[in-house]
Amino acid sequence: MMPSKGTEPGPMKHLSDQELMRIVQGGDYAPASEIYDRYSGRIYNFAFRFLKNAEAAEDATQEVFVKMLKYANQFHGDAKLSTWLFSITANWCRDYLRKADNKAKETEEVLISLPAPSELAPDRTLERRENEQLVQKALQALTPEQREAILLSRYQGLSYAEIAQIAGCSEGAVKTRVFRAMETLKKTLAGFGGRDGVGRVAPLEAGERGVI
Amino acid sequence: MAECSALREKLPLLLTESLDAAQRELTHQHIENCVECSDEWNAYRETWRVMDELPELEVPARVKARFLEAAGLSGAAGSQPADNVVPFHRRPSFKWIAQAAAVAVLVGGGFFAGNRTAPRIQPSGVFVNSIQDRGSSPIQPLSIAETRVVDANTISPVIEGRPNISNVTFTDADAADNRIGLSFDITSRWTVNGNPKDKSMVRLLSYMLENESAISPRSTTLDMVRQAYSNPANADPEIVSALAKVLRNDEHEGVRLRAVDTLTHLPPSGSTSPTRDALIDALKSDPNPAVRIKAVEALAIIARSGTLDAEAVDTLRQKASQNDENLYVRMKAAEALKNIKP
Repeated sequence: MMPSKGTEPGPMKHLSDQELMRIVQGGDYAPASEIYDRYSGRIYNFAFRFLKNAEAAEDATQEVFVKMLKYANQFHGDAKLSTWLFSITANWCRDYLRKADNKAKETEEVLISLPAPSELAPDRTLERRENEQLVQKALQALTPEQREAILLSRYQGLSYAEIAQIAGCSEGAVKTRVFRAMETLKKTLAGFGGRDGVGRVAPLEAGERGVI
Repeated sequence: MAECSALREKLPLLLTESLDAAQRELTHQHIENCVECSDEWNAYRETWRVMDELPELEVPARVKARFLEAAGLSGAAGSQPADNVVPFHRRPSFKWIAQAAAVAVLVGGGFFAGNRTAPRIQPSGVFVNSIQDRGSSPIQPLSIAETRVVDANTISPVIEGRPNISNVTFTDADAADNRIGLSFDITSRWTVNGNPKDKSMVRLLSYMLENESAISPRSTTLDMVRQAYSNPANADPEIVSALAKVLRNDEHEGVRLRAVDTLTHLPPSGSTSPTRDALIDALKSDPNPAVRIKAVEALAIIARSGTLDAEAVDTLRQKASQNDENLYVRMKAAEALKNIKP
């Protein structure tokens, strides 16, 4: 399937998700790039935090958007595109974890990139890495269902109704998962010292972002 | 108190702003008048705040390039691989229309007979023409749904064409028996069991490292290689060469990191081995500092075995004093040099 000559990428930015998907459903893949730009960051971050594996997160991101094109006709305009994409992503991640070969890799930490020396002072870099690992480890201590719920709620801002749709359960079940997740996170982070453990973690400075 | 217990279950909902206005108001009123619940609420809020410590990660540009290529839109985004990494030319993945049309061609002795639409890379330089069953009985045509389990020593180590292998899994049921299993989908589900030294096993693993388009199966294959070939009894130069190629050519830094790690775990094979050459190349030119640091660490391990030559030491010296090199790489190189005996 190729992009139609009449559909230019520029004006795509002004189209809604539903309008873009209608074009895709008509057999024209020209909006693929625009849809990817809108959602790939959220999909990648969710998969990375869920699986704690950068390589798998890349595979997940690519395959989610390939599936979006392949199964475009299964998308109905009554749901948000983000909800549908997160459903595909969550399914991919659950399948990944189900495979025995991948379970052992959940806790592996691969140092993907290092900041340039001038970007951040070495002690601050180490502190940031330590804090990030602290939170990531706490997330890994959750069950996959709880982790999915808290990642979608806390980091992706999805409503409980949307999470229920993605997880294939009731809203009540999502509330329970989030509650249990928060209880566990509170206890896990409390194990690291300070006031309830979490007091020693330095707050983020405004505008500080980046991969370490 | 029962009231406190009921309220505390609502605290996470209060955090996620999921309570209706009336419940929110009641909950806040209780928190203001109950010291214990107020402490609990503060602990939840602090936990919630600490969760901000996770940075937002950027999606590597190659993911978009791979996606658009799979969708037949590769001209739409110009993402080039890192300068110093010459990527493998893998089979394109997700060509679902072509795959759906594929049929089993496992007839009359041909094990793999893939198409040749993509340029062919010879992973080990000794790839031959086809993997064939050497058993005495003739091979019957296979249906797509069929599952086969074969012994590696009953098939020829010859792979024909560039078959698209997917869904790779490994088994090592008994670590003591020096046998491993390799399962994958081609036109049907195959499991090849055998000794790591079987050439069929070596070449299947090498093939997967170079031709698997998804990243995580390549990474899984590297884990399997490390597990099976770190035993000196299984040492195989073809595996070392395949890993060296991965280190030079794989476009994913995580896979290259794992390749260095795997090379480090293999039995030492001397200072002029492909391992040493690949590590020096990686230290000189890999675009990713984490890979260069891993290469320094691996060279330091070789140095401790007393087999590091002058070129490797020179490369470390150069890196330790190179002003425009990443600070961490320079520090690691200097540290490695300190530990090398003159």
